[in-house]
Amino acid sequence: MILAVGLNHYLVLSALIFSLGVLCMATKRNAIGILIGVELVLNAANINLVAFSKYNAGVGDGHIFAVFVILLAAAEAALAIAIFMNFYNTLRTIDVDRGDELRG
Amino acid sequence: MNHMYENLLALGVLIPLISFAILAFWGAKIGKPKSSYIACAAIGLSCIMATYVLIGWSGLDADQKADLTFAAANNQFHWADFGKIPLTVGVKLDSLTVIMFFMVTFIAFWIHFFSVGYMEGHSDEVDGQCKYHRFFAYLSLFCFSMLGLVISSSLLFMFIFWELVGLCSYLLIGFYFDKKFASDASMKAFITNRVGDFGFIVGLALVALYLGTFDLEQAAATFSQQFSASAAAGFDPAHSVGIFKGWNLYEMFGWGTETDPMMLSGLGVATLMGIGLFCGAMGKSAQFPLHVWLPDAMAGPTPVSALIHAATMVAAGVYLVARVFRLLTPEAQFFVAVIGCITLTITALIAIVQNDIKKVLAYSTLSQLGYMIFGMGVGAWVAALFHLMTHAFFKAMLFLGSGQVIEGCHHEQNIMKMGGLRKKMPFTCWTFFIGVLAIAGFGIPFAHIGLGGYFSKDEILVVAYERAYNHSHGESSAKHAGENLEKKDAESHVRLASMTDASLSQFSILNSTLAASGGDGSHAHGTPEKEKIGATLPHLPKWMFWLPIVIAYVTPFYMMRCWWLTFMGKPRDEHVYEHAHENWKMFVPLVVLAAGTFWCSFSLFRPMIAEAGGVAADAPAVVAIDGVAEELKDLPKNKLDPTMLMVTHGEGLTNFNNPHIALGWIVGFAWIIGMGFAWLIYRNGVAVARQIKQVFPLNHLHRWLEQKLYFDHIYDNMLVMGSRVVGTVCYTFDKWIVDGLVNLTGILTRFLGNFTGRQLDMPVKKNDFGLVDAIANGLAALFHDFFGSIIRRPQSGRIRSYVILTAGTAAVVLLLVLF
Amino acid sequence: MDDLAFYIFAAVSLLSAIGIVASSNIVRSAVCLLGTLGGVACLYFVLDANLLAVIQLIVYAGGTLVLMVFGIMLTSKSPWVGFRATRGQVAGAVLVAILMAVGISTLVLTAEWSQSANAPLKTSPSVAEVGEMLLTDYLVPFEVASVLLLVVMIGAAYLARTEK
Repeated sequence: MILAVGLNHYLVLSALIFSLGVLCMATKRNAIGILIGVELVLNAANINLVAFSKYNAGVGDGHIFAVFVILLAAAEAALAIAIFMNFYNTLRTIDVDRGDELRG
Repeated sequence: MNHMYENLLALGVLIPLISFAILAFWGAKIGKPKSSYIACAAIGLSCIMATYVLIGWSGLDADQKADLTFAAANNQFHWADFGKIPLTVGVKLDSLTVIMFFMVTFIAFWIHFFSVGYMEGHSDEVDGQCKYHRFFAYLSLFCFSMLGLVISSSLLFMFIFWELVGLCSYLLIGFYFDKKFASDASMKAFITNRVGDFGFIVGLALVALYLGTFDLEQAAATFSQQFSASAAAGFDPAHSVGIFKGWNLYEMFGWGTETDPMMLSGLGVATLMGIGLFCGAMGKSAQFPLHVWLPDAMAGPTPVSALIHAATMVAAGVYLVARVFRLLTPEAQFFVAVIGCITLTITALIAIVQNDIKKVLAYSTLSQLGYMIFGMGVGAWVAALFHLMTHAFFKAMLFLGSGQVIEGCHHEQNIMKMGGLRKKMPFTCWTFFIGVLAIAGFGIPFAHIGLGGYFSKDEILVVAYERAYNHSHGESSAKHAGENLEKKDAESHVRLASMTDASLSQFSILNSTLAASGGDGSHAHGTPEKEKIGATLPHLPKWMFWLPIVIAYVTPFYMMRCWWLTFMGKPRDEHVYEHAHENWKMFVPLVVLAAGTFWCSFSLFRPMIAEAGGVAADAPAVVAIDGVAEELKDLPKNKLDPTMLMVTHGEGLTNFNNPHIALGWIVGFAWIIGMGFAWLIYRNGVAVARQIKQVFPLNHLHRWLEQKLYFDHIYDNMLVMGSRVVGTVCYTFDKWIVDGLVNLTGILTRFLGNFTGRQLDMPVKKNDFGLVDAIANGLAALFHDFFGSIIRRPQSGRIRSYVILTAGTAAVVLLLVLF
Repeated sequence: MDDLAFYIFAAVSLLSAIGIVASSNIVRSAVCLLGTLGGVACLYFVLDANLLAVIQLIVYAGGTLVLMVFGIMLTSKSPWVGFRATRGQVAGAVLVAILMAVGISTLVLTAEWSQSANAPLKTSPSVAEVGEMLLTDYLVPFEVASVLLLVVMIGAAYLARTEK
């Protein structure tokens, strides 16, 4: 292989996935699409944590953090879905642009 | 070059997966006839590869093969670590894999071919969704998983593919899911298989725990080392190692006393492991008491019955036993033999009274699987696998023939309504007859001419005979065993032996004698590094020899009955007879498979399996008598296990080189007698049989068999009712005790909450204080008046604008910092 | 071998992520998310983080994703309906995303990490070590997390119930 993989490869990959996650959050009008964007962002962060743990710190802290991130992501998804259900029950749609009743 | 064969095999596994992916995602667009071509092309390509490998492989000499096996074993992808156990993905390359791979792809290809014709009329639409492409997608997935199972080098991956195979079976049995009986049958098959798989998981866990590896080769090596070490210590639990160490029941359950704890013999754990692994095989190969799902599985389309429930998937159980054979203790082998013996007996009896053409074939499959498992159990490794191969060919052909009949007769499956079909469908009739001959064990005794079942089934019986009768000499003590060997008695199944310890430590478990027997090394290949603890096998009860013999007479009877009622005699139902017709797409595979039945009986399979048998000879207790022990003698030294012992064979074996001489008079003419008897009863239609049915003891017997020995009723009443009772008890407990506690907590909390809420947080009634509320309201009023009007403006309330704003700001700040 | 694996799995994750963003159909997005999650899990394997990889597969691919699919099914009469953002919004979002990607990439590429960034320092912690750390050094976060999960469970059940 021409390019030996190092830390930077993982970091750039993570940056790309992070940006795609932000893009996803910004362009999806479906609430669950936004949630998917959030998951992408969290995954990007996790890749960083694990890559640093492997290449720079050499200890398990990154793994522990990543475990907690995954855990929080799961919790967040559960709550988010519940909120979306309420959203849907109230507005009969899942389009977030309709949910602007809190605007000033 | 070194890895060419294994790469080809791995590729051959992946091609059906690609076909599955294509059909699963774009099948509906590809449409009705074309999607089947994709599946056929995929499996055809795999088959070509398999053929290429087979031809190349059989051209190699033994050393080259051993080299390739060794290279494949060392070319494994290290996937991950499971604690300290490495999980590796690799191809197990040996003669058995090659031949099994070829068998599966070959049969699968012709069944795909057959399906093209068969499914034309059998894929009605459900809810506007055409099922045609789904069928071929599932078939491709099945091929992928079955082939993966065949080439897996690790037990864990075998298990993964094992489950995939079970899934495909479930999907295909329930292919007509809009019909209640089909979806019920698929559920039954899946659940029954789960029972067996649970045992498989337990066995896997024990393998991981005690042998510390999932790799078949390493596991077997570790097992055999531990066996030797423990046997050298006389299976004294205190000095034994690893899996043979035994469980201290005092520490576990407090049984016995501290100084004199009760020990479960180490063989208990090792045997448990073997039985656990075999449980998986019991589920897939539908052995008693898990045999109930296979007849119901005939609810699926007939090509599926042929491919999965006759030729390949159910054989996976036998294949698994063959692969883990080296992990079976003599007791576990005995267990296997008993289960096989029971299965082959009861299912053959039930087959006599079945009227549905597919059910007859299903029960005959069960019975033949019983023969294979029985053969494995008695140590006839080679013969059992040989029977698997021959059976796969002729049973696939028989099922395809029945599919042709069912298709031709407009979904009529009752043989009582058929008859005389030979004029309408001659090809089907005569290929079916070849299948009947093959399963009946057609052959000319003493002349070495015959069809598949004749060679393979009789070989199993010869080994059983050896075990049941010639064994008795070695039963009493190891000394006898040694003497007998010196006498060059027919004690050939004793694979000797430890040369170090002539003290004849002996012990007995169940009714077996395991002996570390002494000897001077002349009759074993007695270099010290080949020292080995040999074990005589548990004594085989005589009924376990005679039952299969009797069933060897029953088999031709029910097969002949089925064939005669279907094709011969006079048409019993004009309506069915009128419609009968043949379709070339469907009888071409029949003819090919019939030719395959002839061919494989003679030339191809037997020697290759025997070659693979050398590896199995590493089992703690193994039988080398399968008629060709001389071939085994010349096997290359197994490079993976330098301690492996060559298979010894006693001089007495020579008499049994040709099993048909040994047993010629006992079963050689079974096919004539059985078939003749059937012909006598059924030659004039079913009238005679009806009369016989009325005779006193037979009428009860008939009903008993017709109800399949009431197994379904027993399971219904015991298991289903039992779980209902347990469920009710649990429900009551949950309702009154668990819920009661929860509700009590709720009431208490509510009381507390009421107090704190009203006094501290928010006033509800007039006199409530509501501390927090008061503060919050004050603050809110403040913010509303002052800051609210300023912050209000940019708040659109749209989440996406916030995201863009936040991210944009972050990006801009980041870039500002950087540049 | 590891390098090749990295490139393959990174490509899988990235392409799936692009698929998520590009498809207007939410079910397709969810399926693509499976690709990303699986790819990332495989990357964890490459990084010797076996435990994480398995957790990723079980919790994310097995749990969270299924939850999302349920959410999709429950909140939409027909899952195949897509709402599209306007072109202006998409253009703005793409611009911001590109800015972020460039910014972060430049940042990580120009930063000087404390130690050599191209060779792994030490073998990664085994499952047992991670487990031990969880129950010793990180015991408090671990317990807090468990309480949080309980709260989330109750809260989600409360939120999602239907008013009668």
